[in-house]
Amino acid sequence: MAETIVVTGLGAVSALGLGAAENWRAARAGEGGIAPHLFEPGPHGPAPVTTPAALVKGDAVAALETALGRRIGGSLDPFAIYALLAAHEALAQAGLLGAPLGSRAAVVMGNGIGGLQTLEKAYERFFGLKATKVHPLTVPRVMVSAPVSAIAMEFGATGPVFATSSACASSGHAVAQGAALIAAGLADIAVVGGSEAMASPAGMRSWEGLQAMSPTTCRPFSSGRDGMIIGEGGAALVLERQSSARARGAPALATWAGAGLSSDAFHWTQPSLEGTMAAMRQACEPAGLLEAREVLISSHGTGTPLNDKNEAAALRGLFGARADAHPVIATKSAHGHVIGGSAALQAVIALMALAAGEAPPILNYLGADPECDLDLVLGQARPIGATSLLVNAFAFGGLNVSLAFVKA
Amino acid sequence: MAGHEDELIEIIAEESLIDRAKLDPAAKLEDIGLDSVDLVSVIFAIEEKYGVEIAEDAFSREDTLAKVLAKIEALIDAKGA
Repeated sequence: MAETIVVTGLGAVSALGLGAAENWRAARAGEGGIAPHLFEPGPHGPAPVTTPAALVKGDAVAALETALGRRIGGSLDPFAIYALLAAHEALAQAGLLGAPLGSRAAVVMGNGIGGLQTLEKAYERFFGLKATKVHPLTVPRVMVSAPVSAIAMEFGATGPVFATSSACASSGHAVAQGAALIAAGLADIAVVGGSEAMASPAGMRSWEGLQAMSPTTCRPFSSGRDGMIIGEGGAALVLERQSSARARGAPALATWAGAGLSSDAFHWTQPSLEGTMAAMRQACEPAGLLEAREVLISSHGTGTPLNDKNEAAALRGLFGARADAHPVIATKSAHGHVIGGSAALQAVIALMALAAGEAPPILNYLGADPECDLDLVLGQARPIGATSLLVNAFAFGGLNVSLAFVKA
Repeated sequence: MAGHEDELIEIIAEESLIDRAKLDPAAKLEDIGLDSVDLVSVIFAIEEKYGVEIAEDAFSREDTLAKVLAKIEALIDAKGA
């Protein structure tokens, strides 16, 4: 039998704050990070527009400079800053700072689009100012693998290092890949997760074009829900062999129980019941979650009419009447949709909820939608008896990931 | 006409993330720890600020910081003239 893989470190950066503890505290307290922000497209763009978004709370660059003890300045795009800060936090908790991580350490982080803010600035210069040169480090700052390279260089990880990209499921695929590398014997430790920083003036307009954005806020599974809210941030987990954690005396925060991966092969923006159910089933079946008395479910819960209806039907289809006993949370109502970083951020918050025995409330709920008949955690944090966790991430383009964990 | 030295050193420190105190004018760029990637970022930032054009091969890592600063000052002066 394959050796057990455990979680030994967590890190998070989002509109709820800097650090996993602060993210959990805010989520548990029912504090939301969604607010109207002015997006200023500069002298060559159209008039500025105020749009609701969930921007990172706190100075992530200053926090990273303090954590690493050196200057960072503008040398990295925000999506790499968030990933590096979350990875530092997770590695610190796992007791892995200090010596280089070495060749038995993997780094796999996901993001949907790379360093969009850097790219926008470069294109503003090129197309708007008609400058012949753009910043010479535009490419390494923009590339989707910038966060994993930054993490590998910072912490001396010389094993398998790469990025995953699957839109809103990117960090879900990263977590699954990290665990798979350990299971395949290619690494003992994996820093996994993801990040995104798409809340730029043109990035916001691009999202609006999809007709999937709410003009107000994110109301998962609620009547009157009208779309998603863009968030930014990142999250990281340290996965490792149980023997590796024990040898270092690092406490296991949770046990990895498996992943389900599927593709709808169907539509750019509409989910498929078969595809999302297939991912959940693949994650739940081997881990025994289908028969579990109570499972904490961190839903994809974007707040779009179609996603939430489909996800509710998929959970019903998979768990049947047992779904009544499974508390469903939807933390995007607090931290927005962090796109490629969402799955990892939701995993971090939900793992802390599992450990604490308390589920954080879904925010902005207006009233019941009969098509979302689930045991939603509403109003305030609720005590839970769940010993296992399912995290869902369903991406545009039909790419689905479900992650399963068991309480340590 | 000189007079941009402070600003230039500030830009170099900012772009290379090297502590200002280590930017000794008598030292060679390579001894300061300024690598080729830092150098292109520094050149870009200076071009941005002063509207000058600096050739890709204007400096070598063998050059002292003082020599680099003098060359940039001359470009800025020529531009202003």
